Amino acid sequence: MSDTPPLQLKSQKFRDTREKEWRALARQIDRAEKGQIGSFTTEELLELPVLYRATVSSLSMAQSISLDRNLITYLQALCGRAYVYMYGAHARPLQVLKDFFLRRLPQSFRALGIEMWLSFACFFLGAVGGWLMCAFDPSWYNALVGHSAQGRDTSATAEDLRKTLGGAEKEQLGTFSVYLMSNNTRVTLMAFAVGVIGGVPTAFVLLYNGMMLGAMMWLFASKGLGFDFAAWLSIHGTTEMLAIIIGGGAGFHLARRLMFPGHLTRKAALSTAGRTAGTVMLGAMLMLIIAGVIEGVGRQTITDMGLRFAFGGVMLVWWLTYYGLFGRDRKGAGDGQNP
Amino acid sequence: MAKTPKPRKLKQDLMKGGTIAVGGIEGPTTVVTTPEGVRLGFRTASFGTRLGALLIDLMIMIAIPIVLVLVYFLLPLEHVNLDMAPDHPFRQLVNILIILTLFFARSGYFMFFEMGPRAATPGKRVMKIRVISHDGGHLTPAAVITRNALREVELFLPLTLSFQAMAGGGWLGLVAFLWALGLALLPLFNKAKARLGDFLGGTRVVHVPREALSFDLVEQAAVSSWLQFTPEQVAAYGEKELTVLEEVLRERRASTLQAVASRIKARIDWKGPKAEADMPSDESFLRAYYAALRAHLEGRMLMGRRRKDKFDPAT
Repeated sequence: MSDTPPLQLKSQKFRDTREKEWRALARQIDRAEKGQIGSFTTEELLELPVLYRATVSSLSMAQSISLDRNLITYLQALCGRAYVYMYGAHARPLQVLKDFFLRRLPQSFRALGIEMWLSFACFFLGAVGGWLMCAFDPSWYNALVGHSAQGRDTSATAEDLRKTLGGAEKEQLGTFSVYLMSNNTRVTLMAFAVGVIGGVPTAFVLLYNGMMLGAMMWLFASKGLGFDFAAWLSIHGTTEMLAIIIGGGAGFHLARRLMFPGHLTRKAALSTAGRTAGTVMLGAMLMLIIAGVIEGVGRQTITDMGLRFAFGGVMLVWWLTYYGLFGRDRKGAGDGQNP
Repeated sequence: MAKTPKPRKLKQDLMKGGTIAVGGIEGPTTVVTTPEGVRLGFRTASFGTRLGALLIDLMIMIAIPIVLVLVYFLLPLEHVNLDMAPDHPFRQLVNILIILTLFFARSGYFMFFEMGPRAATPGKRVMKIRVISHDGGHLTPAAVITRNALREVELFLPLTLSFQAMAGGGWLGLVAFLWALGLALLPLFNKAKARLGDFLGGTRVVHVPREALSFDLVEQAAVSSWLQFTPEQVAAYGEKELTVLEEVLRERRASTLQAVASRIKARIDWKGPKAEADMPSDESFLRAYYAALRAHLEGRMLMGRRRKDKFDPAT
């Protein structure tokens, strides 16, 4: 070794032959990170995964033949950036959307069957409880609904109340419905998120929101407007309440897997539960947006009581069909439940 | 019996090879196996870095409504609005836009940016950190939603509760606050520095720095008859020392170069030329020694015998 100059190491030759690819990848990732992926030519697009794989393989090669630390750090950083870009969450083509809506979402929903029933029970019990509480002592109404009453309080006459349900009211319905949508989304997120602290807070959120609904029902029913209110509510309410119930169900799922992780470690159980619940939550949030749109448009245009019930009913049947039947495997064996 | 430790040693060495492969990174690392089967090592983002990113994001979130108000007053919108009834379509449109913006600032901000091409919010981008999937696969939209929905529990709930506790919410408020605080500080108590949302979404936050590729130091090694080393001289050091030497050579600070050169000369018992004029500079000496040492160590490496540092037995 001492006789020949120690030039031309294997690692040097390796670097000479591959360096061009690394630089090309670095340039492409720079552009892609700036959001210029749209300006790529077809060749460049086709080249990107090839360059990525070549560079990743260069990294594993370099790790076993080179001791040049600058080179290895560079490759690690470059592969890291390329990896984060290639496997990021950015919007994927149609196929992923189709897979999500036609399979993953309804399947995840069915995997959470028991939790959904529990969530529904909490909400329903809350509604019944809210009604009964107000029926026995009307002062509960203000305690429950109070801040979001918007003129629907115990002192309002039947005529005032009818106005809030009417078709051509002067109220700023568009604004109000957007407010409701953002509020309901927050409630749904909350019901889901607090599931991770044991499930009791989720039950509380559901019960409370159920109570608010029950109290409002009582108010309108006590003025003889029960059916009108139900019809008015059903247009968007079937979609919206189902979304809140789904949020609660996802929260209960987290709580259940946290307390009873089964044969998995608690950490692993939580991360699988988080994925299923997250998928369902994405669906719930989309439903809330749809509910907001229905609310903004439908409430003013559909004024007949029968039509309102029909519309709300159709939405409910649609959602139940979607979540109950879509994405089932042909053979009938797998219905989306975890083994 | 004397032979039994050997295979075990070999196995240990192979495993060391594995960790060296993701090494070169200070501090805790997060290792993911990509779908291509390559183990990529990332430096785990520290609690402080993440807090910094969060504060930047929170400031942006707070700035959004402030900017809205400023725009409202700077543009002559108020005069337009004064003439309108509250249910005028334009007025309603403005209100709807405001509510939507506030809603985005509160609930959609993190999700929107983390689903984008850089998988990071502006705050994370400033701190050079990114969200990745812990299992090495795609970062899914569901994972992003899960990890950010849990901010309600980890961030907004403690904030609300702390305001309540300050306003005299009683001992129950205090207990709830401490509980929520424990959740919020979870990243301090686990090795992966993950918060609750990370565990649930199966995500991790890591440093993704940019590094520049420098030249290969071996290429510029000076060749002279004085700068040839005997096998014994070359075998004095291991990989760790090579790394340090590389850092010194890239940094090129005269005082460090001189100190390192004289230490190496003493250790390998190097006999320089008698004439002062032939004496190579400290830098060219170190370059030449670096080239020789790297050639030696890489040669061993190809045969599967790595030498961690100078305390590792040479054979």
